[in-house]
Amino acid sequence: MLEALKTCLIVDDSKMIRRVATRILRDLKFEPSEAGDGREAISLCRSSMPDAILLDWNMPVMDGLSFLKALRKEPGGDDPVVVFCTAERDVTKIAEALEAGADEYVMKPFDSDIIESKFMEAGLV
Amino acid sequence: MSGALSLRPSYYMALKRLTLELAGVNLGKDHTFLIETRLSALARKEGFENLGDMIHELFSRGQTRLAIHVVSALLERANRFFDDRKGFELLGDQLLPALHRRYRGKKIKILSYGCSSGQEVYSTAFLVDRMAHVFPEMEIEITGVDYPSWALEQAKSGRFTHFEVQRGLPIRHLIEYFDRDGEDWVVKKTIRDCVNFTDHNLLSNTDHLGTYQIVMFRGRMRQFSPPAIVRVLRSLSSMVSPHGYLLLGTNEGIGKVNYGFNSVPVAPGCFLKLSDKVRPSEVEDEMDLANPYEKMLLQEKVVKKSLKEITSGARKEPVEAPKQKGKPAA
Repeated sequence: MLEALKTCLIVDDSKMIRRVATRILRDLKFEPSEAGDGREAISLCRSSMPDAILLDWNMPVMDGLSFLKALRKEPGGDDPVVVFCTAERDVTKIAEALEAGADEYVMKPFDSDIIESKFMEAGLV
Repeated sequence: MSGALSLRPSYYMALKRLTLELAGVNLGKDHTFLIETRLSALARKEGFENLGDMIHELFSRGQTRLAIHVVSALLERANRFFDDRKGFELLGDQLLPALHRRYRGKKIKILSYGCSSGQEVYSTAFLVDRMAHVFPEMEIEITGVDYPSWALEQAKSGRFTHFEVQRGLPIRHLIEYFDRDGEDWVVKKTIRDCVNFTDHNLLSNTDHLGTYQIVMFRGRMRQFSPPAIVRVLRSLSSMVSPHGYLLLGTNEGIGKVNYGFNSVPVAPGCFLKLSDKVRPSEVEDEMDLANPYEKMLLQEKVVKKSLKEITSGARKEPVEAPKQKGKPAA
């Protein structure tokens, strides 16, 4: 019997980034879905909580940090492994993301090797 | 991209042979791509207009320093922090606690043989730092050695790109052990002060390096030619103190000859040193010691001689592959 693929929600306002991440995650045997901002992502999580979330920081409507804080208050919101994926490289920002409940952190630009490495760190691969 | 190669075919053969002669490493079938990509980057660092100019300089003037840097660049590995993670788990969970019990109050010395740009050395230093709360009195000295190269200079500086620090390094380690400096990340001075790096030809005499309780030589075995492996394993054996450990990659072994180690591994790729001596006959049975690598010390005259011989071949086109079995053609 085939094992169900793990799901990963990609939250990023850049269509290009979502497309690249989708391809990488499919190669890693994930079933990806997409959201363009934090509010859309919360809505998707309420209907079906993913196993993992690849999360941008700076987005319109609701940014990544606000989304993460909101997510962790949702029923089952502690379950998804959240990997920030952002151009923010400041150590205080990274620490802030971890404090808010992020499990790992990818600094853009990234490649497939980095995503795989970070997902391994987070116990997803 | 045209895919056109920029060097004369004879130069590829010459570079392949130079690497085999100086480092005992066979570059394999796909060496042309490797040479193009790695040496083009080195040519830029060395200030040459293009790869062709650098190779011409190498073979026309026979520069020893450039020859070593060329070979080192060809041998560089794709490094990542905490590579082959099971080895680090073994180090932290079993080897260091066992050695700490045995050498209580004494310094434990660890050697990373072939450390390249230093990720293995720094990963070990991070691991040791995280064990400090369990073994506060444990004192560790970590040394990395490799051919003189740009990679080793990077190791000494502790400076890594944002791509490099994202390969194998947990984010919490990054913010704890690194300072951001522009686009790069630099290992904090407190960690850099705990490690040291030394230039050393991996095939040359290791007497001056001393002995260690743990020698790490992970993921490099398949790169070397069989005679070079014998030579390296003999050197490693002489550097591991009795009751110390040789840590290879988890998929690597020491072959039929035990080199003074227990032939039954402590864990995959990990061998306990039993005695201080290796019976010469054991090694001689496996490999003829009269091979050219025995004499291959990276000294000025040896490099000069190799370059001269290879250059004479490289200038004649086309250059045929050496036909003599086990010994490169002069």
